[in-house]
Amino acid sequence: MYGIFMESLVILKLYTGLKFLLLLTAIAWLFLFITEKDRKIRILLVYAPIITILLFLFPVSRKVFVATGLDGETYYRILWTIPMGIIFVYAACRLFAAHRRIGLIISAALIMLCGSLVYKSPYISKAENLYHIPDTVVRICDLIEPDHEGERVSAVMPADLIHFVRQYSAAINMPYGREMLVGQWDYYNAVYEAMEKPEVVNMRELLEATRTENCRYIVMAENKQTDVDPVSCGLLLLDKIDGYRVYEDPVTAEALEQQRQEHYGDEE
Amino acid sequence: MIVLKVLSLVVWLLAVPFCIGLLPMPLLKKCFRTPGAVLAAGYILLFTILELVGIPVVLLAVYNGFTTFVKVFTPVTALCAIAGILLTWRKRKKGYELNFHGITALKEKSWEEKVMLILFLIIVGFQLYMSFTRASFDGDDAYYGAQAVAAQQLDTMYRVNPYTGRSAPFDVRHCLALFPIWEAYIGSMSGIHATIICHSVIPLVLIPLTYILYYHLGKTLLKEKKELLPMFMVLVSLWQMFGNISIFTTETFFLTRTWQGKSFAGNFVIPAVLWILLCLVQEDDTGKKGFWILLSCLNLAGGASSSLAILLSCLMTAGLSVLFSVRERKLGILIKAAFSCVPGGIYILLYVALTHGLLAF
Repeated sequence: MYGIFMESLVILKLYTGLKFLLLLTAIAWLFLFITEKDRKIRILLVYAPIITILLFLFPVSRKVFVATGLDGETYYRILWTIPMGIIFVYAACRLFAAHRRIGLIISAALIMLCGSLVYKSPYISKAENLYHIPDTVVRICDLIEPDHEGERVSAVMPADLIHFVRQYSAAINMPYGREMLVGQWDYYNAVYEAMEKPEVVNMRELLEATRTENCRYIVMAENKQTDVDPVSCGLLLLDKIDGYRVYEDPVTAEALEQQRQEHYGDEE
Repeated sequence: MIVLKVLSLVVWLLAVPFCIGLLPMPLLKKCFRTPGAVLAAGYILLFTILELVGIPVVLLAVYNGFTTFVKVFTPVTALCAIAGILLTWRKRKKGYELNFHGITALKEKSWEEKVMLILFLIIVGFQLYMSFTRASFDGDDAYYGAQAVAAQQLDTMYRVNPYTGRSAPFDVRHCLALFPIWEAYIGSMSGIHATIICHSVIPLVLIPLTYILYYHLGKTLLKEKKELLPMFMVLVSLWQMFGNISIFTTETFFLTRTWQGKSFAGNFVIPAVLWILLCLVQEDDTGKKGFWILLSCLNLAGGASSSLAILLSCLMTAGLSVLFSVRERKLGILIKAAFSCVPGGIYILLYVALTHGLLAF
């Protein structure tokens, strides 16, 4: 029980980042605790948040949460029910009701100084297109997408493009996706082992794995090292796009074409 | 062509939800019948319909599930929107009207309030500009974004692995949260790629929608001190922008993952529960039936965003109503709140049955 309590405490610390914005909320909460007269607002902004935190830290709550089938990693979202922003903003409005202009300046400055601007996040960048995915992915996908509607192709993609491919085209399958990049999920995939694990890709092993998985295309970063030139293994270099080499495997392409003929030959 | 697509987005993202939102308005007092409240109510009802129509289709339609969903969801929402218009039209003859006082009252506001309101609009405008021109990378998009694209392009819902595209066991953990399916739906109705809808269009609607809720929440909190409302809104919008104290806060989700259901849970469902409950415990006992209906719907609609959202909204409803009923010594609040949790309770039971293998599809 003590262990679960400590874990919940760590989650709470991670959630708040122990930043000054938490301190601002705590001071605002204290102000409301002392001065707020409206019983309903007291319940909403004073009592409910503190009860929520106590319940959040109570070990049995976490056990029940997980028992219902919810992902334990999302336990922090219980804290979403505490309206930290509303507590501070309402308290600031109350405190500076008679001096709104100076109150706004002070409160706004406090928020900006104690908080962290969301656009400073390293994950935010200038959008290259309306899809908000890299143009490189769009160009590669346009090159390898099947010609006929309803058809699908399979392509091995480098780890840095994996997240975006299927957000652009559902017609492109991949032998592995984001699930292989999340360490704690600990999946196994033969193509991933051959493509991403070694520093120098063993082409024979990679092709063995991709052919088993019917992968028609292999996309590699130009600086990705291989033990032999992929072209010398029979791959066709279709194009070089923004630092990525796009290969087609004629052996898989032919095998897939044969399968297609067997399945749809009569209809054509 | 682009004009048609934009018009189509206006219809499906603004006009239809607004008209649906007209349905519960006769049950609310005039002071609550503002255009913003109508739109917020419309989204609550729209997502309730989404869950009621979508869940059976997702569970039962193995092939061409998305086409089936579109065929059922479109007429139902259209009928609800038409019903909303007709209801308002009929009631109008008897003197019923919406409340546009907030717009006309702008003239009466002091210059200080006007400046603060303009400042608020500039901040929101900046947030909208950034959401449109900045790409925010999030690993979960490989799931949610791809799920929407799979629905739109492969006509299947939760039956392929979104990471790889391969056939997969039915995804019972996410199949009840239909937010990506709604985004795919908007994409299909407007002829726009689902990923563009998610990343470039949805934030332009959901960010203002959240502020509409905060505006009403502020109005209810500040009551007679309405002159503080512009200051409240400026500070709220700044808090949303500077609340990125960790990757877990609702504020971070609000501006970096706006299109994901979980962001909708934290930034629409939860503030909506607070607003509705606060309205429900006001002294005046009239015009509350509409709020109870909205709360019941919200306790199901939240499920569109994530299964956890329903649990949170029901827990908030239950917890806060216990506190309110004890403090006010009114058992009625507790009983009505319990009834409002019934739709959400059924959803949770279904979720537990699916995730524990008691039900299989």
